[in-house]
Amino acid sequence: MTLIIPPGPGRRPLDDDPRWYQTAVFYEVLVRGFADSNGDGTGDIRGVIDRLDYLEWLGVDCVWLLPFYSSPLRDGGYDISDFFSVLPEYGSVDDAAELIEQCHERGIRIIADMVMNHTSDAHPWFQESRQDRTNPKADWYVWSDDDQRYPEARIILVDTEASNWTWDNQREQYYWHRFFHHQPDLNYDNPAVADAMLDVVRFWLRLGLDGFRLDAVPYLFEREGTNGENLPETHDYLRRVRKAVDDEFPGKVLLAEANQWPADVVDYFGEGDECHMCFHFPLMPRMYMSVRREQRYPITEVLANTPAIPDKAQWGLFLRNHDELTLEMVNDEERDYMYSEYAKDPRMKRNVGIARRLFPLLDNDRRVAELFHALLFSLPGSPILYYGDEIGMGDNIYLGDRDGVRTPMQWSPDRNGGFSRADFAQLYLPPLMDPVYGYEAVNVEAGLRNPSSFLHWVQRMLHVRREHAVFGTGTFEVLGVENPSVLAFLRRRQSTDGEPDDIVLCVNNLSRFSQPAEILLTELAGMVPTELQGRVPFPPIGELPYFVTLPAYGFYWFVLQSLPDETES
Amino acid sequence: MIDVATLERLLPDFMVRQRWYGFGDVRPERVEVTEFEVWRDSWPGLVWALARPVFAAADAETDARFQVLVGLRSIDEYMHFLDGKGRSLLGDVATGAGEALAYDALVDGELALEIVRRIAPDFPANAVRPLPVDQTNTSIVVDDSAILKVFRRIRSGANPDAELPRRLWDVGFQQTPEPIAEWRRGDDDLAVLRRFLSSGTDGFVLALTSLRDLYSSRLQPEQCGGDFAPEARRLGEVTASLHTSLAQAFGSAPGDATAWTEGLADDVTRVAVPGISPDELVVRVRQLVGHAGADVGAAVRIHGDFHLGQTMRTDSGWFLLDFEGEPSRPLDERVLPASPLRDVAGMMRSFHYAADVALAERGDDVDTELHSLAAAWEARARTAFLDGYRAAIAGPEPLVPTEPTAFASLLRAFELAKAVYEVGYEVAHRPEWVDIPLEAVQRLLSPPL
Repeated sequence: MTLIIPPGPGRRPLDDDPRWYQTAVFYEVLVRGFADSNGDGTGDIRGVIDRLDYLEWLGVDCVWLLPFYSSPLRDGGYDISDFFSVLPEYGSVDDAAELIEQCHERGIRIIADMVMNHTSDAHPWFQESRQDRTNPKADWYVWSDDDQRYPEARIILVDTEASNWTWDNQREQYYWHRFFHHQPDLNYDNPAVADAMLDVVRFWLRLGLDGFRLDAVPYLFEREGTNGENLPETHDYLRRVRKAVDDEFPGKVLLAEANQWPADVVDYFGEGDECHMCFHFPLMPRMYMSVRREQRYPITEVLANTPAIPDKAQWGLFLRNHDELTLEMVNDEERDYMYSEYAKDPRMKRNVGIARRLFPLLDNDRRVAELFHALLFSLPGSPILYYGDEIGMGDNIYLGDRDGVRTPMQWSPDRNGGFSRADFAQLYLPPLMDPVYGYEAVNVEAGLRNPSSFLHWVQRMLHVRREHAVFGTGTFEVLGVENPSVLAFLRRRQSTDGEPDDIVLCVNNLSRFSQPAEILLTELAGMVPTELQGRVPFPPIGELPYFVTLPAYGFYWFVLQSLPDETES
Repeated sequence: MIDVATLERLLPDFMVRQRWYGFGDVRPERVEVTEFEVWRDSWPGLVWALARPVFAAADAETDARFQVLVGLRSIDEYMHFLDGKGRSLLGDVATGAGEALAYDALVDGELALEIVRRIAPDFPANAVRPLPVDQTNTSIVVDDSAILKVFRRIRSGANPDAELPRRLWDVGFQQTPEPIAEWRRGDDDLAVLRRFLSSGTDGFVLALTSLRDLYSSRLQPEQCGGDFAPEARRLGEVTASLHTSLAQAFGSAPGDATAWTEGLADDVTRVAVPGISPDELVVRVRQLVGHAGADVGAAVRIHGDFHLGQTMRTDSGWFLLDFEGEPSRPLDERVLPASPLRDVAGMMRSFHYAADVALAERGDDVDTELHSLAAAWEARARTAFLDGYRAAIAGPEPLVPTEPTAFASLLRAFELAKAVYEVGYEVAHRPEWVDIPLEAVQRLLSPPL
């Protein structure tokens, strides 16, 4: 299927800023679900290449590929059976190299998932390790005669796993796994494992990847008497990886998935010598809570408790991703609340979270979706979009595990939503066909044709965001507003070259009613706010709190500029 | 500059126009300046004084003293800060340097900054603005980071609004704005500078946000996105922590049920409640306190005027403010130890007001469904607050009744007294609101124990 892409702002060269990730907008792509180029019912790397013009038009800066390595696919490819090859259904290493090159030609960077903690039980390393207790790979995994060690380590996938230990009949020992029982944990206490995984990293960076999203990093090591998370040994190893990357491949990024409280997550930035980026997990459920409660405190509390991060570091922010909306980082009361608000059907619950896409979570309310994206694009961090959210795709809660949010990308109202020319029965998952979110109603082609679509809105907002690096690198300061439904904050970047500071004021109405806001801004008295979407100048800030009114779920982005000096004219 | 005689001549007309004056529209016969200092004798001038109104014997007998800060600028100057501030003018004054205008210095940003610097020389102050709501005291916000509260009516002895926050911080209670500096002369508390909660929302406003969501969605409160119960529970916990800390700072004594009964009986007969005889109220108070038996908890220093409007939700939880106590009571009465349930009762009454004020916002749109939602919201907020409070209250001895029925019964007694007080207040000041406390009085009289 050919997409007719409207003319965009023009091709951009790949910028050579080593801190590109601080201002980048990421776009998460499920290779299996994005586009099928060969009609076998499964998306592939060539399919992604075919759709790069669309991503270029949309204005994303970096593509994040979910795992595309060889895998038995019992955990969406996070169960890797060969780190050096591509899953044949997706293509080849050559295809991956071409994808990288084509991205770079469009000024887009590309990173990929890397699973450091474990492999598939089908990986040759594990197959060898399980043979007996003396083979060369015998110590590449964590084996034990009993299943009583490390009792403090919690079980993460509580819906499917009863223990972190599983018995292996062949070797007649238990092996350790923090995730599924078919994903044995690698033994990082073995220097050969630590070296081997570093070679995996080198292989892909040499091919041109711009970095990795490191899956499940807190669990690399195990120690008796601990919960096996965030151990000092794990941080030591990450420092080693970072040093190798900085020395051998400058300008590449490591993005850590550490589903922990911000005070613990910041440890993964190290002193600027571990990961460049970490996801901010607790922020996301609180954005949903804030809007339902019509008050900012769930958001501002968690941001107030988020420690400062090193100069070159950045948070990764997201609204939804390929996993469940995780509720591990909320307290019990908040979790009950989230379940009752957002998982009304028990089928929507997955592990400790909610397996839904953005638009169904928001009752398909375009106004709230715009507000959420305005927050995503303006809160401190780099936004990460999940494929399909930019057109308002839905989910299928009747599919198992997290497949409900991994259905095929909806490109057009054609057969299989333009995702594949295969027979319907051959598709890896059925596309959505319900009247609200089905591909006949929600698809890229329709979004592109309609200038007032959500898709066009996202594209314009990304354009606006790109013009103000302060969204990526500015300081963040919540402003006082008596009205609890209004969240106002400043992003500010000190200028270095004598130019005025770059200051953006963001005002958000979290309520479904219109709201007034008196913003404490006297410190900036005399400056003139100009609204960024339409470049409409607003009245200057005076000695009193700055007054604005906002429509339901409305938001403003203002750039603040000094009044022109009258004596000069 | 201005001299004492001139100031005394200008003050009677000035005082009677101020919200903090407190003697209605009775102009003092004269005003006696008891202390006087020139703080700045170049333009703009600044004078500090304490002044005592003197009344004709028939009008009032008082030892009230008021704190005034007088600014002076040449009448040739344009004073934009006085626009719309006629009430803050004292009048024209002849000075050695020409004719000047005298006014309340706290409305003059430049002079207010000077006052802040004098009171808290170590605090880096750059700009000030007045707080728009002007009450029994005058507050100015300094750089959106601190707030200077200038006490107006000066009473001998410690002002609880200065003393309690300081003592609370000393024992580790930090859910009230941190005191930065205090200004005292002799025994008199004159002003305090403390942290400004710029991220805060008034608790009453937050409750209204929840109620607007409720009335608009017409779901049950527990199904509503803006459910207030978790906030109320946390507020109950902080309130318990306040009482625990006050007991720690000031000590506690076993509650005296007999004295409380008599005090409450006095309180409920002070006001004429339409349609209800004073005897009925007194009987009910005795019944309610009596029902608690000896299980009445302790007497401690309390907030004294506790309601949602004295609380602030911030990024770091609930904060509690304004420890002056009920302004209508004399100071020596306000600092007496009392049952912590007096504060709890105040909050219970506030939940009722919030539900009904939000109902009134809906105008003619109010039907029986909304009334029942209002009642359900109030009941849910009460339960959540009390759950949080009872779970968190602690002390070497029980500060509140230990048995749930005794707790509930004593709480009702204080609620009844508070509702009767509110009837009196509403009749005098806002007759259109009198139905809210009247309904509460009825409720508190009727159900079984």
